[in-house]
Amino acid sequence: MDKMGTGILTKKRDVLIEKFLKGNESGFLKKYTSVLDEYFFSIFEKSRAAKKLTIAGTPFAIIALGGYGRKEQCIHSDIDLLILFEENVPPGVEAFVQELLYPLWDARFEVGYAVRNIEECLEMAFSRYDILTTILDARFICGASLIYTSFMERFRSDLSTKHLKDTLNYLFEHGEKRHFDFGDSTYLIAPDLKSGFGGLRDYHTLLWYAKIKSNIKTKRDLEYYGFLTHFEYLSLKDSLSNIWKIRNFLHYITKRKCDTLHFEYQTELAGLLGYGSKNQQPNVEHFLGDLHARMDFLKQINQIAFEDIFGSCRIKKGTTEPRPTKTDGLVIKKGRLTFVNTVVILQKPDLLLKIFLKSGLRKIPLSIEARRIVNEFLHLVDDDIKTSPACIKIFKKIMSLSYWEFNVLNVMLATGILEKFIPEFSALVNKIQYNHYHLFPVDKHSIRCVQIMNSFKEPGGSSVDTLYRSVFKEVRNKNVLLFTALLHDIGKSNPAKEHSKTGAKIANPIFKRFAFNSTEVEDAVFLIENHLALVKTATRRDISDEETAVYMANKIGKIRLLRMLYLLTVADSRATGPKAWNDWTENLLKDLFLKTMGILKKGELASKKTQRIISKKKENVLRLLKERWRKDEINSQLESMSQRYLVHVPAQSIVDHINLYRSLGDKEFVWQISKGSNSDIRTVSICGKDKPGFYSKVAGIFFLNGLDIVASQAYSLGEEHVLDIFKVKPPKDRIFEKEKWEKAENDLIQAIRDDHFLDNALDKIPLILRVSSGKKPEPNTIRIDNETSSFFTIIEVFTYDFPGLLFSITNALYRNHINVNVAMVATKVDQVVDIFYIQSIENDTKIETRQKLTQIKKAILNSLPDIIAKEGNNEKN
Amino acid sequence: MKKIEAIIKPFKLDDVKEALSEIGIYGMTVTEVNGYGRQKGHKEIYRGAEYVVDFVPKIKLEIVVSKERAEETIETVRNAANSGKIGDGKIFVLPVEQVIRVRTGETGTEAL
Repeated sequence: MDKMGTGILTKKRDVLIEKFLKGNESGFLKKYTSVLDEYFFSIFEKSRAAKKLTIAGTPFAIIALGGYGRKEQCIHSDIDLLILFEENVPPGVEAFVQELLYPLWDARFEVGYAVRNIEECLEMAFSRYDILTTILDARFICGASLIYTSFMERFRSDLSTKHLKDTLNYLFEHGEKRHFDFGDSTYLIAPDLKSGFGGLRDYHTLLWYAKIKSNIKTKRDLEYYGFLTHFEYLSLKDSLSNIWKIRNFLHYITKRKCDTLHFEYQTELAGLLGYGSKNQQPNVEHFLGDLHARMDFLKQINQIAFEDIFGSCRIKKGTTEPRPTKTDGLVIKKGRLTFVNTVVILQKPDLLLKIFLKSGLRKIPLSIEARRIVNEFLHLVDDDIKTSPACIKIFKKIMSLSYWEFNVLNVMLATGILEKFIPEFSALVNKIQYNHYHLFPVDKHSIRCVQIMNSFKEPGGSSVDTLYRSVFKEVRNKNVLLFTALLHDIGKSNPAKEHSKTGAKIANPIFKRFAFNSTEVEDAVFLIENHLALVKTATRRDISDEETAVYMANKIGKIRLLRMLYLLTVADSRATGPKAWNDWTENLLKDLFLKTMGILKKGELASKKTQRIISKKKENVLRLLKERWRKDEINSQLESMSQRYLVHVPAQSIVDHINLYRSLGDKEFVWQISKGSNSDIRTVSICGKDKPGFYSKVAGIFFLNGLDIVASQAYSLGEEHVLDIFKVKPPKDRIFEKEKWEKAENDLIQAIRDDHFLDNALDKIPLILRVSSGKKPEPNTIRIDNETSSFFTIIEVFTYDFPGLLFSITNALYRNHINVNVAMVATKVDQVVDIFYIQSIENDTKIETRQKLTQIKKAILNSLPDIIAKEGNNEKN
Repeated sequence: MKKIEAIIKPFKLDDVKEALSEIGIYGMTVTEVNGYGRQKGHKEIYRGAEYVVDFVPKIKLEIVVSKERAEETIETVRNAANSGKIGDGKIFVLPVEQVIRVRTGETGTEAL
């Protein structure tokens, strides 16, 4: 065995690799191919087995296939060989194969080989297309060249006479399958340099196609035979040499044939490829951005090939030509949209835009030629065109036509017309964020975001899809929404700053340029600046807390903006990648949206007016307390108070309550009794620890001590405390009023300790209540509202007043494991409407089951006396 | 060694992480999970249509510590994740037989 041969081979290869690593070897692939060729020459020359075979009248040819055949050999690429005989394969070939290949295998080269005669080869080629494509790249190395040429002649003639259509069909279908299997490489964290969409295979496909169709010899012929324009060829050359270089480095560092650019190699590769400055980390984002641009170009190359194949074979399969377009200057040829001629564009430059509108409306792609023309005539898109109302209208219309499977915006981006209209967008093109989170370059992400937004029009499968659809329907100004989707990340052009803020600034003039009115611009700027607010709040704050929804509602302020922000958030997250979008985030986001919507719709806690009221109150509180407290202390105290409390309680009372709360210390509760200046009513403010039944017990104590409750409000104060306000009539015995309050206070202490302390008081609740009113008294009515609030079940009790009423109701709730979180109790003459915001004691959520709701309703009704008209009442009137 | 599995509310994650790093625990596995215990899902109504939230989104933390540190770790997680309400979650403690660091082959607490 010839160890010497491989010794020379590996030495030569290592010299080449070293040169390549130093950056002094531009033609590595070709040179490495030659090194391999030389090895085969030398073995063939020296081989006795080869000589024997030739003498025996069975000459053969050694042929390179695949990448080796194309002279595109990367460091660890396979070496594919074909040993071809004219007719029969003699048994002596085995000895030759041993001489030829064993040393290579020993030296750890990846060599694949086949020994066949011409007939077998042809049969294989036309039954297996993967073999056929390697033969398209076949190249003679050494041996009997006549065998090679006669084989290739037969192959060509069979191909063009019998197998042309099938082969083209295969190329087309295989391409589709490959994209499905490998995905779009430009959109993957770990792109596949060879097989992915945008990988080398896309170039191979075009090359094969050109070889099949025009029998071209090298890639240079792609231009000469008109498959590519001159500039396309130059770009192809540049893209290929770049990707090959990366592939070589990748092979080198992984020490094997590895074509997937795994995440963990990206930083090292960026360094090897010379990205980054002296002291800094390698600039991976820059490296990936460049790579994406190149792969993007290969994708276009692929589309060129596909278009051509489609045009030459598919159309014959009896697909009918779509009806002609009515737009002057445009025409549909072979199922593709194109310009009638180029002169017409000079006359009507707006056709450059109109063709995309037509393409979107009719769902017919632009022909490759039309794309080239758009790109070459971009200079015609001047300020007149960009500012003409007609063109702006067309542009807006195109935005709404950008669908999943058929995306006009992507084509607009590829041809450069999108950047012509929105120059600011250029900064996003192929901008990569190097992490596991962002799958797409910013430009592609933004366009995806528009697509997803448009997809909300379509009916979806799940219940949440119907939510998106119904919210989308409600958005009046869809143009604003679609433009914000396209431009929400425009601030990412500046990596140093917070991109939402920067983005809002950059977007402002763009929206004005597109003739949006001032409200629309304002909306758009708000949405862009806050496009992360919903998702941040949903994942980082307690959304089962009403205050979170209230905070969000106040921040957003308008129902219309909330709807738009929600859809923008969903589209943005979905367009980012699976780390940003999954069931988990979807659930959180939906929940927060619905809850915030509830708050905004009700308007009680979040409207311009309440915001004014609250901020005014806060100012007043600060003013009233400024002598005794530090400002930040008061502010943090105010922050912990619920919006509902701040809305309903006057500033002076808030001040009193803050002082009261400060004096609570370790005690279960403290209260303060104040007498109004011009009324006889006492206001009792109670601050206490939030324990189940507290509110009911206070009401009970007042009843027990004959203190009539006129009105009451209950609020929670932070997480652990409550603040209850009672307005009560003073005791009848005014002389010993102070003692009376002291007794009540003691009673409350006992009631808190002993859950059954108030049981006796219950017996004093009347069973029958006789009321005198002009008409027939209304029966007791309970209304349960489970829809208004996402957080509480709201119970409204309509009845007539009597001493002990509040105690009776709240005790019934307490005994049914219900917590009263908010209460609004007011008496009008003798008819009362008591409103309670309740939650279950066990889990701090509203009551969801019908059974439990019925139970509560029954319990309250049972606790109330029957209402009967006072005797003789009707007779008098 | 013990494995501590904690199911907590999503918004408590930062608090818990911070509290753990204060006692010198930096390594953990974080997973976004859905589930329910005593805190059942709920429904919301939008335009008359009901949207049910069946499972409550939670965060699952997995931390492996030496036996001696287990108690302290559990306490820290508990304190940081506690809001006093239902749905604050649960902590499970499991024995761990062996830990091996893939790169070096170190075993036991060395590998933590």
